[in-house]
Amino acid sequence: MTASDKIPGFALVFGVAYAAIYVVCTEINLPLITYHPVTGEIGLLRQLAKTGPVMYWYGWMLTSFVGAVALAAVASVLPQSWVQRAIAFGCLLAAAYWIFYTISLFVYDRATVELEFLQFRSLSLGAATLTATIVMFIAPRHWQKRLWYGWIWIVPVGAIGVLAYYLAPYFRQ
Amino acid sequence: MIFWTTLLILHGLLALALLGAITHQTVALWWPVRAPAGSFVARFRAVPGVSYVGAIILLYVLTFVLGAWIYTQYRVTARLSLEQLRFFKTVGIFELKEHLATIGLILLPAYWAYWRQPLSQEYANARRSVTLLLALVVWSNFLIGHIVNNARGMGS
Repeated sequence: MTASDKIPGFALVFGVAYAAIYVVCTEINLPLITYHPVTGEIGLLRQLAKTGPVMYWYGWMLTSFVGAVALAAVASVLPQSWVQRAIAFGCLLAAAYWIFYTISLFVYDRATVELEFLQFRSLSLGAATLTATIVMFIAPRHWQKRLWYGWIWIVPVGAIGVLAYYLAPYFRQ
Repeated sequence: MIFWTTLLILHGLLALALLGAITHQTVALWWPVRAPAGSFVARFRAVPGVSYVGAIILLYVLTFVLGAWIYTQYRVTARLSLEQLRFFKTVGIFELKEHLATIGLILLPAYWAYWRQPLSQEYANARRSVTLLLALVVWSNFLIGHIVNNARGMGS
């Protein structure tokens, strides 16, 4: 395989990894830099407001860029089937986590007794990991042989959905 | 203020050019003409999509860079006013715009790779999907930009 043949795969993994890391960065606020627009200062990592508001968006993009380039570089030397499995597992894990955590919170809200454990994210994550592993195991082998380029729209669309969900409080005020 | 207003106008003009180019390409890709083009709509659909790729990437990057620059001014002026006026939905929809712009930007390497000549049949579906998603992102951001500007933008 020539370097030119690897470009579409690299671009795919870059886009998928960037979208996933970006969502995580916005959720737990992981900027590589913080910009203070009033003073024009740029600080390393996450910093609190000094004078006026702070901007983390540039930092989230930078964190995601570094992570995505690293993952895409690693993926470009791995067999396509491994990359396909890794992306499929990641997507299944994310979807299953979302389903389990939503159900857990739904049950917690309506339960007549205190079921605090349902609020633990680790529980949903564990169940999601198990589910994703089982699905990967029973999925047809030919699905996992070649890289599917459709991930390039599936993962960003999923990321947009999650990012829009995070913004819901703005629309409830 | 003139400086930022000029940048905002430039940002809007670039976005308009980008909107035209990506819409043209997406329509030509998803709804190609089978017979010789006669009407305006048919000619609109008959453009060779591949010739738009370079322009779309350049326009997207330029529009993004200008938008990211203007964002610093928005954060310390317009947004504070919007919050004081309790226009939280407008603030929220602008937050969505920044995320959509980022997602659109990261699609560009794949978009370019799938549109490389000679066009590979292996990437045909991915090429259609990524082009459509990019068009939806550009359209969304164009409309959101208008809404926010109408709420607390130029001249307000």
